[in-house]
Amino acid sequence: MLNIKKADFQSLIDHCLAGYPNESCGMLGGKDGRVEKVYLMQNAKPGPDYYEMEPEEQFRVMKDIRDSGLDMIGLFHSHPAGQAYPSNVDVRNAYWPGTELPNYPDAIYVIISLMDRSKPVARGFTIEEGKINEIPVTVI
Amino acid sequence: MAIKVRIPTPLQKLTNGKAEVECGAKNIAELVDILEKDYPGMKERLSDNGKIRRFINIYVNEEDIRFLNKEETTLKEGDTISIVPAIAGGR
Repeated sequence: MLNIKKADFQSLIDHCLAGYPNESCGMLGGKDGRVEKVYLMQNAKPGPDYYEMEPEEQFRVMKDIRDSGLDMIGLFHSHPAGQAYPSNVDVRNAYWPGTELPNYPDAIYVIISLMDRSKPVARGFTIEEGKINEIPVTVI
Repeated sequence: MAIKVRIPTPLQKLTNGKAEVECGAKNIAELVDILEKDYPGMKERLSDNGKIRRFINIYVNEEDIRFLNKEETTLKEGDTISIVPAIAGGR
């Protein structure tokens, strides 16, 4: 379960809409499945079907999460024209290159579909050892 | 000389669960070789034909080696090296 406050959820959706038609991304810091801090991040290789976090920003945000006493409980990105479900590229990049070892086994991958921009759809997943499991995302 | 190396979760099987190891190396290329000697399998995970694999970020202290001198980035005692998987995807 991933719980996120309404205002935080809205900021994440707004960030994805602002990045449209390209993909947008960010991180979620929190504890025990509850989001405490949303990081709206830049897409270093923006495109309508790709995102990649900027490496130094990624490092800074991961450090800020640790320094805040939080865990990186989630990673989010948008699918401007696709379903809120992990793509093959999402799955491949969730693993260490050339393996099926999950890079961030404790993180929930939140995907926001903007197929209908008036009704964005957000769903959460874990991606481990070839399996995709849905984790409910609840706005509180 | 002692350099701290932070090992990401997917590679901790190679370091017997250790999240941080120490070693001495004069640059990143040598660091990869030394890690391989101490923790076999590390070199193949980190590099391909002597180049750090795509989707793997290596930082010296807080700087990405791509903006320093890549595999030739010089290391000194007290440096902390972080090996961090890139976050990317999409459709």
